[in-house]
Amino acid sequence: MPGFVAQRLLYLVPVLLAVSLLTFLIASLLPGDLAYVILGDQATPDKVAALRHDMGLDQPIWWRYLSWLGNVLQGDFGRSFRTGQTVLQAVMERLPVSLELMLLAQLGALAIGIPLAIACAVRSGSAFDRFMTGSAFSMLSVPAFLSAILLIYLFAVELRWLPATGYVPFSEDPVGNLRCFLLPALTLALGEWPVLMRVLRSDMIATLQEDYIAMARAKGLKPSRILLVHALKPSSLTLVTVTGINIGRLIGGTVIVESIFALPGIGRLLLGAIFTRDLIILQGVVLFVACGYVLMNFVVDMLYAVLDPRIRHGHA
Amino acid sequence: MRAVSGARVFAQIVVAASGIALFAGAANAQKQGGSITVGLELDITGFDPLKVGVFDTAAGTAAASIFDTLTYLDDKGVAQPKLALSWSHSEDFKTWTFKLRPGVKFHDGSPFNAEAVKANFDRQKDPANKCRCAFYISGIKDAQAPDELTVVYNLNDPSVNFPAIVTIQSSNWVMQSPTAWKTKGDEYNRNPVGTGPYILKSWSAGDRMVLERNPDYWNKGRPYLDRIVLKPLPDAQSRFASLQSGEADLIWDDEYDADNIQKAQKDPKLTVHTYVGSGAQVYAFNTKTPPFDDVRVRQALVMAIDRKKMSQAITNGLSRPASNPFGDGSWVKCKDDGALATDVEKAKALIKDYGKPVEFKMLVTATPRGRNVGQVLQQFWKQVGADMEIEQVDQATIVPRAFMRQFQLTPWRIIDLADPDPQMFANFRSGSPVALANYANPELDKLLDRARVTADQAKRIEDYCSVGRIINQEAIWFWTFQNTYYALSSAKLKGFPKMYGGVIDVSNVWME
Repeated sequence: MPGFVAQRLLYLVPVLLAVSLLTFLIASLLPGDLAYVILGDQATPDKVAALRHDMGLDQPIWWRYLSWLGNVLQGDFGRSFRTGQTVLQAVMERLPVSLELMLLAQLGALAIGIPLAIACAVRSGSAFDRFMTGSAFSMLSVPAFLSAILLIYLFAVELRWLPATGYVPFSEDPVGNLRCFLLPALTLALGEWPVLMRVLRSDMIATLQEDYIAMARAKGLKPSRILLVHALKPSSLTLVTVTGINIGRLIGGTVIVESIFALPGIGRLLLGAIFTRDLIILQGVVLFVACGYVLMNFVVDMLYAVLDPRIRHGHA
Repeated sequence: MRAVSGARVFAQIVVAASGIALFAGAANAQKQGGSITVGLELDITGFDPLKVGVFDTAAGTAAASIFDTLTYLDDKGVAQPKLALSWSHSEDFKTWTFKLRPGVKFHDGSPFNAEAVKANFDRQKDPANKCRCAFYISGIKDAQAPDELTVVYNLNDPSVNFPAIVTIQSSNWVMQSPTAWKTKGDEYNRNPVGTGPYILKSWSAGDRMVLERNPDYWNKGRPYLDRIVLKPLPDAQSRFASLQSGEADLIWDDEYDADNIQKAQKDPKLTVHTYVGSGAQVYAFNTKTPPFDDVRVRQALVMAIDRKKMSQAITNGLSRPASNPFGDGSWVKCKDDGALATDVEKAKALIKDYGKPVEFKMLVTATPRGRNVGQVLQQFWKQVGADMEIEQVDQATIVPRAFMRQFQLTPWRIIDLADPDPQMFANFRSGSPVALANYANPELDKLLDRARVTADQAKRIEDYCSVGRIINQEAIWFWTFQNTYYALSSAKLKGFPKMYGGVIDVSNVWME
């Protein structure tokens, strides 16, 4: 096992380097020179030239990348030229919000997806199964910005049960905090559960045809025990992968959802950085999110090995 | 052709916008206490001019409550005393002396005095600080503090309406505590200290800023509310939903959100606050490049624009057509501004008369709004036989392209300011870095030079109307729509002033 972990960790190094290079290139190749952005309506040619020199923008791109990478490796991601905040400060301030949102969304998606998947697998081919797989497909095609607005209209404007926008820290008011997160988490979960449900359903149908399930039935075990204990764990391998990969998708989803519900998370930071052309924050946040995604996949790999011993012994 | 006389002008200035909740009249009983939540469009980045350069509209709202300015603009657009009690000027309007209000303290207890005003100015002016804000005070040579309560500004160029110019709650003119920025250093940006009616209590990034009533405010009895909560609500739909559901009492809006504004107009529980400011959305032809070196082409393109249709296409009819660069919010009212009327046939004839094919590129900001406007203009011009190609560029790129005159036709902006001089002079006086049209006309220069040193407003109006006529007839620039600002609020919110410069100032509102 330690060998396996070390090997996987080693793989991470080139991946993370590639991520940092891409992040830097994307930010550098965006139209609109940083010097023009900072100078705004005073961007006379000589002022631009002077500022470019001050900021090192007149250096070759590979040199700028290496010096940025060097700083990043020392933990210095840079400082926003607009707020004076360091990237690390800005990210840390907003990270808890995004993590809570992703966690709740994922839990919500699992809470909807797993029971439905089991129910469908048991009655596979029935009218219920066909209806559910059909609705899962249509839910998948509803974009988050649409479901968000519909949920706001229903629960905030018409029924007035939940707030349309806003955020209360958990430490201040736990109930209020959860109320704020309910609609955004549900919005994300509505887009996530169909994938989880369909993956688990097909794996479960396959598992239910295994001999040992027939054996368990023959022994007279309770159907619920067979389903939840004997069939669920071996069927959940793909589910774990998909859940992990979906975290990445969720990070993308939070950009939209956090803006609509005005949650002060990473997604909003990213969007704000794009609008205000705060390239240093932008570059830092993208790197941070990409690293998070890569690490999440690493964790999924590890989890996989725990769930299926064949993988950690290299027989997969 | 006669310009309107001064007295008539004053009578006309009274209400610049319909549906506006006018400033507190005697009939309104102001209610003390309570709190409001304001939904803004953007995250506020900070208040230190050296860091943020200039305030955007969101920062302006907070700044209007935390800080005071020397003067404020009353409902008629006239400068009134705030931190300054009175002012006087030299014969040539190049020296302005302000007498300050005694006994005012910053929130940190340090005294507000002439030294503080001078320190604010010097910090921004100092070339070593490289403040982006310095551009807007480049016309001021220095500030002096001859005694505790006297400030003297020495200007490079005359400015007859200087006290009105310093009313704007921009990073240049709000008074910040020198003690605070010296002691807090980098942290000052997010911990601003002013003399204003509200004190910053807490601020969590991206979420909310809480302002508490300043119990020691120099203006006794003000402000009315105990607390103001400012929240960035970036999405227009959910921002409006928050207003409908009562989570927000007032929200920022703009005419591109026409659906919701029109919905709010029909809702008795909501009030739509509108302010039509001075200035306009404007476009400049580069008259040194063909085909715009020929006046017939420029005139034809301007005549081809049907602003009513355009307004319908881009904002559901909310945008107000502009026929001059002054706007309904300006005290410059012209009987005849010389605007070329929409006339497709005449435009076609002019293009035909020109004889050569009319093909050109127009700079357009690479945003949905920018593209939309570009496409509508493209259609108008196609109708008259002119072929415009849209060149999408980043917002930040337009400015240097304009400075270097690397364009044929570019969008620009004349913002809402209390006096037309700064922008008219910069945009149209030959030799100015942003006289984008590359157009020189001694008559135009003479009028602009004279208007800035004339004290008599009626005479200034006459001159500015002549300026407008020359520009319209020569078609070196054109205007599409006036600067219109919107805020939507609960009908219970009262005392909301005009949105000068697009700033939502809630420092004197109350809830019924």
